[in-house]
Amino acid sequence: MRLLVVDPDPARAALVAEGLADLSPLEVRRTASINEAEVAAYAPDLIIVASDSPDRDVLESLREATQSNPKPIVMFVDRSEPGFAQQAVRAGVAAYIVDGLHPARVRSILEVAMTRFQLMQQLRTDLAKAQSDLAARKTIERAKGLLMKERNVEEPEAYAILRKLAMNSGRPIGAVASDLLAFAGVLKGDKS
Amino acid sequence: MKHALDIGFVALTDAAPLIVARERGFFAEEGLDVSLRREVSWATIRDKVAAGVYQGAHMLAPMAIATSCGIGSEPAGVVVPLSLNANSAALGVSARLSESMAAADPVNPRSPAAFASAVARHRAPRGPAVSFGVVFPYSLHNYMLRNWAVAAGLDPDRDMRIVIAPPTSIAARLRAGEIDGFCVGAPWSAVCEAKAGASIVLTAAELRIGAPDKVLGLSQTWADAEPEAAIAFTRAVIRAGLWADASENSDELAALLSRPNHVDAPKELIARGLGTAPASIAFARNATAFPWRSDALWIVDQMRTWGQFPANADSSAAIGCYRPDMFREAASALGVSAPPEDTRPEPASS
Repeated sequence: MRLLVVDPDPARAALVAEGLADLSPLEVRRTASINEAEVAAYAPDLIIVASDSPDRDVLESLREATQSNPKPIVMFVDRSEPGFAQQAVRAGVAAYIVDGLHPARVRSILEVAMTRFQLMQQLRTDLAKAQSDLAARKTIERAKGLLMKERNVEEPEAYAILRKLAMNSGRPIGAVASDLLAFAGVLKGDKS
Repeated sequence: MKHALDIGFVALTDAAPLIVARERGFFAEEGLDVSLRREVSWATIRDKVAAGVYQGAHMLAPMAIATSCGIGSEPAGVVVPLSLNANSAALGVSARLSESMAAADPVNPRSPAAFASAVARHRAPRGPAVSFGVVFPYSLHNYMLRNWAVAAGLDPDRDMRIVIAPPTSIAARLRAGEIDGFCVGAPWSAVCEAKAGASIVLTAAELRIGAPDKVLGLSQTWADAEPEAAIAFTRAVIRAGLWADASENSDELAALLSRPNHVDAPKELIARGLGTAPASIAFARNATAFPWRSDALWIVDQMRTWGQFPANADSSAAIGCYRPDMFREAASALGVSAPPEDTRPEPASS
């Protein structure tokens, strides 16, 4: 069977396609945007589209044009499996299928797609957190250096001062370090 | 009790009552903690309201009705306590098509007859001569285009190709020559004029006074579970519509809408569609916000005309999703007058 993945996010599309490649026999094609002529020529049995794709509404019109065109998965699964379509919507996956596909087959494909969408979301969240952790650590290092110089203390004591400030104010140590650097800048007459 | 709500919208001027209600604190004053979530697709808005991810959204009026009747999706309860606007949609043509129309009829270059002559001249050897972009199958925009084509003596399904394109992409598609015309809401029609040399040939106000465009669509499951919050939400949006409609607020409104997290379009192009001229976008005046059941009937009529309303579909569900009773309840607490009738006299179209 033929499957088309429509996703403006190439990394996520690759991740979905890779996950689906294990479900043979399945021919998977990826595209960033929908070209109606291409869709007609390829005639996919199932289209998986990212909910945040600007082309999502184009599929709604393809479906209207003729009876044999794909229908949204929300119409297909809802009656027999309440909750499944809602899970897909929450995962940011929309799917359109042509009549006659075996429901279990569609379900297994969609489950892979949903898992991959969630995985991508998790990877992005982790990356953002790692970047902000790294930035916080650099700030703490600089604040420690400042305290060591200004108060003429060793590193463990500088860190203890920061930790005490954080505990007293109930804020993360990175935020306290950042404030300290900002205040020091103001006192020195830093304009930035 | 504080209600936390997620509400969907699409980047268009007619989302203004929702944006204003949040930014000016009208929701907060009702004890509602509202997060506005921007989406690029109407189908995603529909599905998220149906799945309960959003409690309500900015919706195309015909989409709210189609969803209630299970046309184009599983049936999902949507209630419409309020209309968001009238007079946002505009039908426009590319510079090339506009020139052909001027050549065909120098006196009335924007008339349907000029369009018919231009299309006859452009007739391609295979397939329709012209392509038009509209935003969704179930939309005032689709019906405006189709009615105009019929006025020109054309068959919208045979003599032109109608493609669906998100509002934000229309100007780029015009410039690329992929489409020859469009019907799209503000401010994207003004963007097409300013950035792609398009000319507007018909505005929604000319098609039908107060033609129903966008509505507030609430999840019926949520509105049934939290009836007081649903009325409080409606009150906040009625207040916001009145604020947005006041001409002294136009400048502030244009600035607010132009922000990157809202409509994200140039302020001066948004401002072009605001004001109190007869064709300017209306949020409250002329009882625009009232969910007239006659508007729902008109939409069902249009859906029937264009083959979108199956014979077995339930037209009482279509009309019943419009809830003038909810509007009246919300308006009375505000001291805002609401019409006692559910239907308005058929407006004279110009």
